[in-house]
Amino acid sequence: MADVFDKCTNWKDYKIAKATGLYPYFRAIEASHAGTEVEIEGRRVIMVGSNNYLGLKDDPRVKEAAIAATRKFGTTCSGSRLLNGTLALHEELEARLAKFLNREAAMLVSTGFQTNLAAMSALLGRHDIVFSDRGNHACIVDGIRLSFATERKFRHNDVEHLEQLLQQADPEAGKLIVTDGVFSMEGDICNLPKIAELAQKYNARVMTDDAHSMGVLGEHGRGTSEYFGLEAQCDLVMGTFSKSFASLGGVLAGPFDVINYLKHKARPVIFSASMTPASVAAVLEALNIIEAEPQRRARLLDIAEKMHNGFRAMGFDTGVSVTPVVPVLVGDQVKCFRFWKALHEAGIFANPVIPPAVEPGHALIRTSYMATHTDEQLDRVLETFEKIGRKLNVIPETRPTSYTPVKIARPGTYVLSNEATQRWAAASAGLLADKGFSLEQISRMSGREVAAKLFDAMETLTYRAANLQPDDLKRLSTMPMKLWEKRSELPGLLLEKGATLFIKNGKQSEQSERN
Amino acid sequence: MASTVRRKPAPAPRPSPTAGLTITPVRTAAELDTFVRFQQALYSSDPNYVPPIAAERRDFLDRRHNPFFAHASAELFLARRNGEVVGRIAAVDDTAYNQFHNTQHGFFGMFDCIHDASVAAHLLDAASTWVRARGMTALMGPMNLSTNHDCGLLVEGFESPPCMMMSYNARYYAGLLEGYGLRKAKDLWHYELSTMTAPPEKVVRVAERAREQEDVTVRGVNLRDLSGEIRRLKTIYNAMLQRNWGFVPMSDEEFDYIARRLKPLVQLRPELCRIAEVRGEPVAFALTLPDANAALKAADGQLTTWGLPIGIARIALAAQRVNRLRVLLFGITPGYRKRGLDALLYLDTLRLARERGFVAAELGWVTEDNALMNRALEAMGARRFKTYRIFEKRL
Repeated sequence: MADVFDKCTNWKDYKIAKATGLYPYFRAIEASHAGTEVEIEGRRVIMVGSNNYLGLKDDPRVKEAAIAATRKFGTTCSGSRLLNGTLALHEELEARLAKFLNREAAMLVSTGFQTNLAAMSALLGRHDIVFSDRGNHACIVDGIRLSFATERKFRHNDVEHLEQLLQQADPEAGKLIVTDGVFSMEGDICNLPKIAELAQKYNARVMTDDAHSMGVLGEHGRGTSEYFGLEAQCDLVMGTFSKSFASLGGVLAGPFDVINYLKHKARPVIFSASMTPASVAAVLEALNIIEAEPQRRARLLDIAEKMHNGFRAMGFDTGVSVTPVVPVLVGDQVKCFRFWKALHEAGIFANPVIPPAVEPGHALIRTSYMATHTDEQLDRVLETFEKIGRKLNVIPETRPTSYTPVKIARPGTYVLSNEATQRWAAASAGLLADKGFSLEQISRMSGREVAAKLFDAMETLTYRAANLQPDDLKRLSTMPMKLWEKRSELPGLLLEKGATLFIKNGKQSEQSERN
Repeated sequence: MASTVRRKPAPAPRPSPTAGLTITPVRTAAELDTFVRFQQALYSSDPNYVPPIAAERRDFLDRRHNPFFAHASAELFLARRNGEVVGRIAAVDDTAYNQFHNTQHGFFGMFDCIHDASVAAHLLDAASTWVRARGMTALMGPMNLSTNHDCGLLVEGFESPPCMMMSYNARYYAGLLEGYGLRKAKDLWHYELSTMTAPPEKVVRVAERAREQEDVTVRGVNLRDLSGEIRRLKTIYNAMLQRNWGFVPMSDEEFDYIARRLKPLVQLRPELCRIAEVRGEPVAFALTLPDANAALKAADGQLTTWGLPIGIARIALAAQRVNRLRVLLFGITPGYRKRGLDALLYLDTLRLARERGFVAAELGWVTEDNALMNRALEAMGARRFKTYRIFEKRL
């Protein structure tokens, strides 16, 4: 008989990660030093894994505002916005945000996740069709699942695919195209110009999730639509306060009728306690600073450019990102954990991103920066990455002779993404996961198939051996020496190769899900 | 009244010829293996087909192993119909070629396809789209993967097996390519010369005069200093072919890559590779090798069976019985031409080949418009017996 708890007790991944010391999650931060450095296990580490883009969360003005609001209104509102949870402060912030975002109205939701949940679930009806980028954040995916609308997913940033789907759709149905403005893991921007064009052609509405771009992109920091000059064409814009706004919560802005309807109908809003006074006041103060200090945005983009180019010069692949989200491609999942651990030990807090957040074989270290990072801190991050990258064979021993400098989405420019290297493109399409094979696969193969694989390997080896040149032999003879030099790395290396047999970069779990 | 005109009832939907047909780029090692083995499966019943060693082809197409990919990129495509592989093609963007000729030509190659125009069209479409996306204005091929490797589509001379490092294909391929709108760009002629053919008197006279010049010596390859010899050959090679159609200079790594594949053949008959020196400086060479294809055929595409080197043994055995040669390269440094060095090398090679029991040699390829060379070959008594065609199409 099945027990619903079975999957929990049988879950191996956590135990393996814990046992090998490669468990990167739920790291407790004990103290914060201006946000750019934090204390973990009594050690000070540089924080490059936070979304506090403008560095406002430790700004004394913001802190003070939150404290003052708590003094005035208490610690919570103890209820939903609909009933007892609305403060004058909430209404003030909604009005300010509507004005800031050039919209008729705005509504606050207690978290960013809930904001999309609310928008999707209440806005989309049974006969509507929603077109969603495959790379969209989980809250959009879940929001759509809560609605009764038909979901059509288009390939990440592939507007041709989107057009195909729009063409196939019933012309009478209500249509919404929803996309992240800046994609949180790869750091590229949605093709809003083309999406807006298609929306007009096929009579669809457009919504962007500007969680990672509000406060970052555009002349005034209003996000993707301001950056492209398409605010009028973008019907709904969503933002979150936990990133640039140094708080917690989310906002949805758009036409008054729509916002008003959602305020009364969206269950994630009406059945949830409203934002705490401290959170609202923090956003208000952050908004003041965002409006008054554009130099923070400029500094942030300067830092992004410095880091992208710094990594690229060493031979790292930072992919398609044009924003302060700087992903560093590692590829193998276990190597990614090892990379993270080495970073952690060297005093750098960054996040390993593994499947299912990215495609199998596309594991990466995601770094993101704050306007308040100092150049010394950034240089130390670069140095450490280079040292570890070389040790783990992510980058070559010597720097490449040239690299393609990054394009950054500064105000006035018009870039969607940087050109992906062949490896990045293959990895993000999930094509590198097939490298190697897993024990589970072998166990599913027949004896004859296993033998065929083995003989095939023999064939390749024989061919290569038959073609060995004197130079190759010389190189082979230095192998033992090299192995000896790398002996400290051997356990990790063995672990990596061994783990591939079991988890195969996350491909396996996906397969079993499908089965 | 227009509205009363009834349209004919729409015909019942027939399964379209492209139904179930998918073209996918090769991404994984397993797909690469499928790509390589498709040709072997397609030609399994053709007695003239010589299967290449699958492991060699895999390494050849692997950008980590083949230095060709340092200056070129390629995408391989597989056509599948209802899961079954029915065709393959490679699209190539060779920067070295386009820089050297100042062109924007994309290549296709490794083309193999069942006798079905729609499959061929889809494959060629995939290649066209890929090269067009890289800014190319014309599609040329087949090149497997460049003129420094085997190239051209066999259009005449299907009766005999291909010579080593020459391609082979079924008769219907030309129709498939023409059906797609590809037109002839250039014909490459391939000659056969029986070692029993008596050399023309004039050639003998010229050779004798050349031999009498004091500063000329002709020698075989020095196996002890093979890497030095390779370096010397490379210098002549890159100097001599400059003005030829389709020529692409080879990088050092590429030359080594090809040289190391030919090395065993040179070692088999080192005396057949003649080098002419003038005052100790090598200025001309004739690279004649035993036609490895006859031996290769015995291995049937694999060096090992059940992990045992059976294929290698078969090749080694069959190699002893090879009685045909290929004159792979023949070159004289500009400035030393018209001194009879060519006649000298030719006679020398012919004599040695006869002594060693070889019955015939194949010479090629030569472009159809290389009048000088074609006339010379015909004068020697060589018979044109295969024609390879390069096609092109403006995009």
